[in-house]
Amino acid sequence: MTATAMVDIAAPARSPEPERLGRRKRRWVFHAVMIPLTLVWVAPMIFVIVLAFRSFDDISQNGTAAWPTSFSWDGFSTALGAGNMGRALWISIQVTIPAVLLSLLLASMAAYALSRYAIPGRRAILLTMLAGNLLPPQILLIPVARITESLGVYDTLVGLIAIHVGFGLGFYTFVLHGFMRSIPAELTEAARIDGAGPFQIYARIIMPLCRPSLAALAALATTWIFNDLIWSITVLRTEAKLPVTAALLNLQGGYVSNWNVVAAASIVAAVPTAIVFFAFQRHFVSGLLMGSTK
Amino acid sequence: MTTTTLEAPVAAPAGRRAGGARRVPKVVWLFLLVPALVEIGMVFWPALNSFYISLTKWNGLGVAQPVGLDNFRALFSDEVFRGALKNNVIWAIGFGGLSVLGGLALAVALNRPRRGVGLYRSAIYLPMVFSLAVTGLFWRVQYQPDGTINTLLGAVGLESLERQWLADPTTALYAVLVAAVWRQVGYVMVLYLAGLKGTDPTLDDAAAVDGAGAWQRFRFVTWPQLRGVNTVVFAVTVIDSLRTFDIVWAMTQGGPYHSSELLSTYMFQQGFTFLNLGYASSIAVVIFALALVFIITYLVRATKEGADT
Amino acid sequence: MVHSELSRRGFLAGLGGLGAATILGGCATGSSSDSGSSSNSTTLTLQSSLSDADPKAALTKVVGDYTKTKVTLNTIAIETFRAQLPTYLNSGNPPDVLTWYAGSVARDYASKGFLLDVSDLWTGNGACAGFSPALKELSTGADGKQIFVPTNYYWWGLFYRKSAFQQWGVQPPTTWDQFIALCKTIKSKGVAPLTMGTGSTPWVASGWFDYLDLRINGAEFHRDLLAGKHSFDGPEVKNVMEHYKQLLEFFDPKGRSYSWQDAVTPLASKKAGMYLIGAFITTAVPSNVVDDLDFFRVPIIDPNIPVAEEAPTDGYFASAKSHNTQGAKDLLSYLASPDAQQEFIKLSKSSNLPTSQKVDTSAFPPLVQKGIKHLNETKAITQFFNRDSSDELQTTADTALTKFLDKPGDVNSILSAWQASAKKVIAS
Repeated sequence: MTATAMVDIAAPARSPEPERLGRRKRRWVFHAVMIPLTLVWVAPMIFVIVLAFRSFDDISQNGTAAWPTSFSWDGFSTALGAGNMGRALWISIQVTIPAVLLSLLLASMAAYALSRYAIPGRRAILLTMLAGNLLPPQILLIPVARITESLGVYDTLVGLIAIHVGFGLGFYTFVLHGFMRSIPAELTEAARIDGAGPFQIYARIIMPLCRPSLAALAALATTWIFNDLIWSITVLRTEAKLPVTAALLNLQGGYVSNWNVVAAASIVAAVPTAIVFFAFQRHFVSGLLMGSTK
Repeated sequence: MTTTTLEAPVAAPAGRRAGGARRVPKVVWLFLLVPALVEIGMVFWPALNSFYISLTKWNGLGVAQPVGLDNFRALFSDEVFRGALKNNVIWAIGFGGLSVLGGLALAVALNRPRRGVGLYRSAIYLPMVFSLAVTGLFWRVQYQPDGTINTLLGAVGLESLERQWLADPTTALYAVLVAAVWRQVGYVMVLYLAGLKGTDPTLDDAAAVDGAGAWQRFRFVTWPQLRGVNTVVFAVTVIDSLRTFDIVWAMTQGGPYHSSELLSTYMFQQGFTFLNLGYASSIAVVIFALALVFIITYLVRATKEGADT
Repeated sequence: MVHSELSRRGFLAGLGGLGAATILGGCATGSSSDSGSSSNSTTLTLQSSLSDADPKAALTKVVGDYTKTKVTLNTIAIETFRAQLPTYLNSGNPPDVLTWYAGSVARDYASKGFLLDVSDLWTGNGACAGFSPALKELSTGADGKQIFVPTNYYWWGLFYRKSAFQQWGVQPPTTWDQFIALCKTIKSKGVAPLTMGTGSTPWVASGWFDYLDLRINGAEFHRDLLAGKHSFDGPEVKNVMEHYKQLLEFFDPKGRSYSWQDAVTPLASKKAGMYLIGAFITTAVPSNVVDDLDFFRVPIIDPNIPVAEEAPTDGYFASAKSHNTQGAKDLLSYLASPDAQQEFIKLSKSSNLPTSQKVDTSAFPPLVQKGIKHLNETKAITQFFNRDSSDELQTTADTALTKFLDKPGDVNSILSAWQASAKKVIAS
């Protein structure tokens, strides 16, 4: 059972179905439904992009929904210049990369211990860790602000990274645990007989096998951490340290009816996660199976 | 030391992996201990503090006065809280139901490789990479009185359906819901696509040869194989509905007059605008209690199924 | 229990330390040296809620010109700022100086001991010594000490475009009946007589409430009402709502989806006639419209009631826990100085008025001159609903008034619900 699951993950590509008679009509129906649906789906995004490239005068005279009669980079230049979105992007990268790497490292360690060893109460531990991730973040805000302060990491990126790591751990551990459980015991057993210690088994066997789910989780964690708002406004109070989403909120307060600037800034905030997502797309689809085939 | 508190009296399932893994090496304890301590320090400890705060009256400045269960008692006579609770139920059903139905339908439709499938998939799951704040902003523009939605309705002769979507108490919650589902459907679709990839295609083909219709094949062949993915989807949907805050905050802030208020927005307002930290924490505790019921049911089922095989 | 506070603090700190060890242990690159970066007391931090583009640029310039100490300006979006203000003040290393409002909010923080006593700025050669007694009173805490440094204020009025009124052949009214007639005339031309953005900024609806109460029941009643001494479902407030009801047919119905800024657009494009709003409206109108903008006093309803106007006051306070109290006071003195006030007002493009009587206002635009005169002619001054009460009471007003705008027929039940929630707020 577990072995077949492994094979599926390792070889996700499957040859297309042989063409059958009577499928042609069905294909036509398929596209007739999907094309309008897709257009409806992307319409809001197209609309925001168009809005970002219109000039302020055009929008204020003709309204947001009017057919564009102008083309202007002003929205982007204001967002990146006076709106500080460029700086915020760099901050977000500085927060997201270490937070994702650290989260996955720690989560894989915990998942390894819980999935490959008979640790007493491991189900309870896993459940508890996952439950921690499910807490409404609001319940933690005030105490977290106090604790980061008592640690001297209030208003530092280190503090923000720490809370991202702590808060995400439960879910990443849960997912990786599910995946690691599906790795056949024979593999690690053989290595153990060859004299490999727990650390070597973790580093040389388990982690390489987990690569697809790690990649998928990395994509997931990147979007979560990059898109975070609530933690950054709780732990940080210096404008120059605000990551993208918080900076976007700041910018919205300053350019309330400048829809072109706000639209441009939100595109700036959305593009990096879109890039990460499409770069990881294949891992995402294959890796999200995550040992949940049971 | 600390881990002893974590060791719930659950009997370790001895036997299944007994071959060599019975004695846990010290380094493995370390592997567990380090992440566990991080989570305890950043999550459980603050959460415990919040439980304590929920039993007090505290404005964040000065001393918290213990008041017992007064906050919880006050909650149940608070009309706004009851409204928010009701809205949250609507939200959970609408958000979970619509995104699961939509995501599953799209995943089934877009599962088999065909021309254009890649494009359709990408278009539908692109929104999930945007932050909720960005999503809220995107949709606020559409819902403006002169925005695209009303303009389109007017263009096709449906002026009577034009609304001030976010300012009308009868539509505000649903308008936000649509935006949230727009973002979530792609995500759920990705999860189900992954799950469908793990199903056995030969079973489906065999059923087709036996003359089973599309619905029957889905219901009796594909669906049972998706059980594992369902649990992941369930977990993710619960997590995301509990995190639903940013988008409501960005679009309506719970208004007009609390008609789109959710527990989390009401909690935030109580905690941060009014500084009723004790009262706010008690709302958070209620949210937590609701979540706990779901997650325990879910995990118990998941572990049971795991033990059955 | 006596020791509960102690134990709670211990609770927080205890595991916090444990967390620290874990975090630093788990993170190879993490080092504890990061934590010391913000404890340098020679640099002052000014936490600002002025997130709108022009005021932000203005304060940046004003602070940049200050040479005595290095000042870091942190601008945080106003809603976030409001949410985090207690956290800022209560933190171990708070910002030294913060922007905020005079009145009950500042007084409230002062009563908890979180604000620096700046009484010495109000005496002798102090920067605020020449300010009016009314401003001093607004900046004084319950214990008689000054805790606030006001730097500018503004007025409210019914703003309109002169050219539009000319086009429609109408004149600013002075009485309620004239005003209603004016609204009818404008409406007959297919223009919304009044605009008001109560979507993301529902507090704007309190502007009309405040003014109608001031005109019908007077400033003293209004202050007492906001202090909880009168009832929101009493006959006086019902009378106010009767007048409010007369206005409802004249509002641009789209206003309930707009922010206050969005609601300026119909006024600027002559699709709406008038807007009851603060003088900060000039920051939101296109520059070619500013000179065409004028305002008039909210019409008199009962001539026996002394004329009252709203004039909210903005400024700064300092944290009691500042590591550099002298530096904070020096910065406050600078911000309150005539030159700094003048520069800030000019660059922020607002029509705010300086608190220092030494600022030469003769070069200010005619609109601002009119604003100064407008306030000088008034018998009583109030601030605004939230500043005269609290942000929490403001939300009860937001709920009640936006609901009233939608369902004026339910006014009685709305008012009794308002009274119930206001009572709860005032009691807490």
